[in-house]
Amino acid sequence: MSTQLWALAAAGVVVLAAAGLELWRSRRARALSLGLGATTTAVDAEPYILYFTGEGCTVCRTHQEPALAKLEGVRIEKVDAIAERELADRFHVYTLPTTVVMSGDGKSVQVNYGYAPANKLERQLSEARGGELRTAVSA
Amino acid sequence: MATSPRGVVDHSALKVNQTGIVATVLVAFIGSAFFRPALVLIPLLSVMLLLGTFVPQLALFKQIYFKVLKPRGIVKPRLIQDRPEPHNFAQGMGGVVLAIASLFLVPLPVAGLALSLLVAVLAFVNLAFGYCLGCQIYYQLGRAGLIKATR
Repeated sequence: MSTQLWALAAAGVVVLAAAGLELWRSRRARALSLGLGATTTAVDAEPYILYFTGEGCTVCRTHQEPALAKLEGVRIEKVDAIAERELADRFHVYTLPTTVVMSGDGKSVQVNYGYAPANKLERQLSEARGGELRTAVSA
Repeated sequence: MATSPRGVVDHSALKVNQTGIVATVLVAFIGSAFFRPALVLIPLLSVMLLLGTFVPQLALFKQIYFKVLKPRGIVKPRLIQDRPEPHNFAQGMGGVVLAIASLFLVPLPVAGLALSLLVAVLAFVNLAFGYCLGCQIYYQLGRAGLIKATR
């Protein structure tokens, strides 16, 4: 039985280490990606979403796209992460799906690596709208 | 096979496959505490996954789904616009890790069992949350230009 317990402990350590590494990686990528512009997209008055996807991404189809469909009146810029590698690299896209909430002036304000549910995106879009209002008032 | 028309994947077949992987590893893991030969399930599962990657007709769990569970209505099909390659790649990766685990089972059973458990954990994460590590690695390889089929 002790062999099984040691194996369970070893697997647990690896899982925890992988989770920690993933957390560190996403935080680092997010920190590097915030405030960047997406020059390939037109500047819009309203916040919009850059949605990085790929043909082989199942979660994109089963989870992310239905979540994006729930966002009414929001412009979604769908980007093939393989075809538009330069843009994907600029936002440090290391996993699919990745969603980037862009402010109206074309700067990234939130980056989600992995599936982002509709309510989270709604909240991030509201914050992006609020941020623009604050900027306008202070100006 | 998990694919029917071109570009459509039956995700129920994938779920049954993942359930089979988790169940087999758990039976081997728990069973080996009382009956050591139960560990033979690990190399058998490895061979089955590797064979199923290259010859879908030999993928036992998927065949159970297509020949038994689906026709009898026990598991309903779930066809999704998708590509089978990342899933096959992930299955093959699981098979390779289990093959490595099998090599460790006799000289270093803790390492062999730990590796097997990791495969089961990843299969469970895919089953429960839809996160497929093998598919992500497939994406990274495509991004690095090592796999042409990504696009």
